Amino acid sequence: MNVKELVTLIDGTLLNPSANLMREIRGGCGADLMSDVLASIQPEAVLLTGLCNPQVVRTAQMADVAAIILVRGKVPARETLELAEKEHIALISSPFGMFALCGKLYQAGLPSLERSVNSPACD
Amino acid sequence: MNLQQIIDALELTPLTEAKEFSAFEPSCGYAADLLSCVMSGAARHSIWVTLQAHGNIIAVASLLDLSAIIITEGASPEDATITKANEEGVILLSTKKTTFEIAGKLWELGIRCKSSLE
Amino acid sequence: MSPVSESQKKPMTDQDAENITRTEELAYELKVEEVMTKDLKTLAPDATMQDALEAFREERISGAPVVAKGKLVGLISMEDLIRCLRLNDLAASISDYMTTNPQSIRSKDPVVEALKQFAATHYGRFPVLDEHDSLVGIITKGDLTRGILAALQHDYHEEEVRRYRASHLFEDIESDRSSLILRYNIKKGDFVLGGAASSKIKRALLRLGATPQIARRAGIAVYEAEMNLIIHTTNGGVIRAEIEPHQIAINAYDDGPGIEDVDLAMRPGFSTADDDVRELGFGAGMGLVNIQRCVDSMRLESIIGKGTNLKMKIFLPNQEVMGEGFGQNKES
Repeated sequence: MNVKELVTLIDGTLLNPSANLMREIRGGCGADLMSDVLASIQPEAVLLTGLCNPQVVRTAQMADVAAIILVRGKVPARETLELAEKEHIALISSPFGMFALCGKLYQAGLPSLERSVNSPACD
Repeated sequence: MNLQQIIDALELTPLTEAKEFSAFEPSCGYAADLLSCVMSGAARHSIWVTLQAHGNIIAVASLLDLSAIIITEGASPEDATITKANEEGVILLSTKKTTFEIAGKLWELGIRCKSSLE
Repeated sequence: MSPVSESQKKPMTDQDAENITRTEELAYELKVEEVMTKDLKTLAPDATMQDALEAFREERISGAPVVAKGKLVGLISMEDLIRCLRLNDLAASISDYMTTNPQSIRSKDPVVEALKQFAATHYGRFPVLDEHDSLVGIITKGDLTRGILAALQHDYHEEEVRRYRASHLFEDIESDRSSLILRYNIKKGDFVLGGAASSKIKRALLRLGATPQIARRAGIAVYEAEMNLIIHTTNGGVIRAEIEPHQIAINAYDDGPGIEDVDLAMRPGFSTADDDVRELGFGAGMGLVNIQRCVDSMRLESIIGKGTNLKMKIFLPNQEVMGEGFGQNKES
């Protein structure tokens, strides 16, 4: 699934035009704790989160996240949007909640792209 | 779908004392790690999926009258948290699976979300 | 060998693929005025069609804006000229054959607006107007293609050159032991800017020729350390990254308040962060655990009232050493 197909699937709105719509998404991860995301997410995942601060984009950048979905129609802070635009990471707003989004994406065939926190290395 | 069926289907491990789980019928599902989100978004009798094992989750669940909390990624709450859960009658379930996968599987079982937006 | 000729020999890489989709980004970034033709041949409405014919032939163009008193009044194209030739009417005024009220585009509009207009109409060119409605240029489909290709080439070249230069740093500068030291001052409580230093370190590592895996590990570890400085210190702190071909050593240090029980701080899930920080998605007690998983060696030293020093190291295996060609040199 690529970013463009993802946006359609979740009735989403792409918030930053610099995003690469063709970028491929290999799986999903839903979390609001950024340390957990950093600890467990594998590259090229879509991150579902209720957080809207710039740290979401920073985390995504460090962990090679392919796209970010802000749940429940949340509108990010201006700084968040600017950072996503600068770093070319797709920032998408969806009217659905985290639970429904996990459900829809899981049903569409996206696997969970988090590893157990007990695994030894972080790449 | 009652809680016992969910526990079986998702292979969840109860952390709090055994109960007649089949008597609980979760109304809907909710996933979030931010307590403020849960406070504003989770409906009564929801089943809440989170990787937070922090003591505050018990207070939130009790306040909102949630059916159960599924703690994901094998995060383990402290003994004091489990004791508090037993006192408050909050059911804690544990899984090594991720929030994404558990919410996905609950969705497949037909559990939906009831909030102002959905 | 120049980086460009080198890249031409290679088959399609991920980097190349990224450049293709960069076209879409450029469609939003580039302004119409950056790609339009500015050196314009314009015609007056009362000139004859014979004048238009000669202008088209001399300038090798297939259309021109018609301007009266500095304002755009129409557009005359090769199709109009052919229509006129068929009627043998070359003595007529241009105003008899031109398209009046032509569709135009604004000079400050992004290129994507021009793309949309070309797609929505059958026109081959649009006059470009500035904010005072004065004619400043004309844009054709050819201008669009040329403009985007030139920008793409420029972009690609710039990053390639940067990467090339940086990745040869360790070869070009000789010493018994070279290292590159980067320092960043981290402000206490600055959540908005938090992660900026980590982001720069990650980018520097990639430019220096580190593998994406190494850059990711270093990025995650430094980011956690950076957030710790922002959340827990009294006056902020400093991140110092020392990059050598075979290892990356990163220190994050501050002058207080210090950690009471270092072993306890290392325990997964332990955190002294308050609820406000937790609601920002941090303070889950996973930061130090996370760092430990990402680096090859880690030492946490802390004295109450004096400060904390977190030392992290990532060792690069032989085949992954920093700097292009450095590894081969070592092995041969």
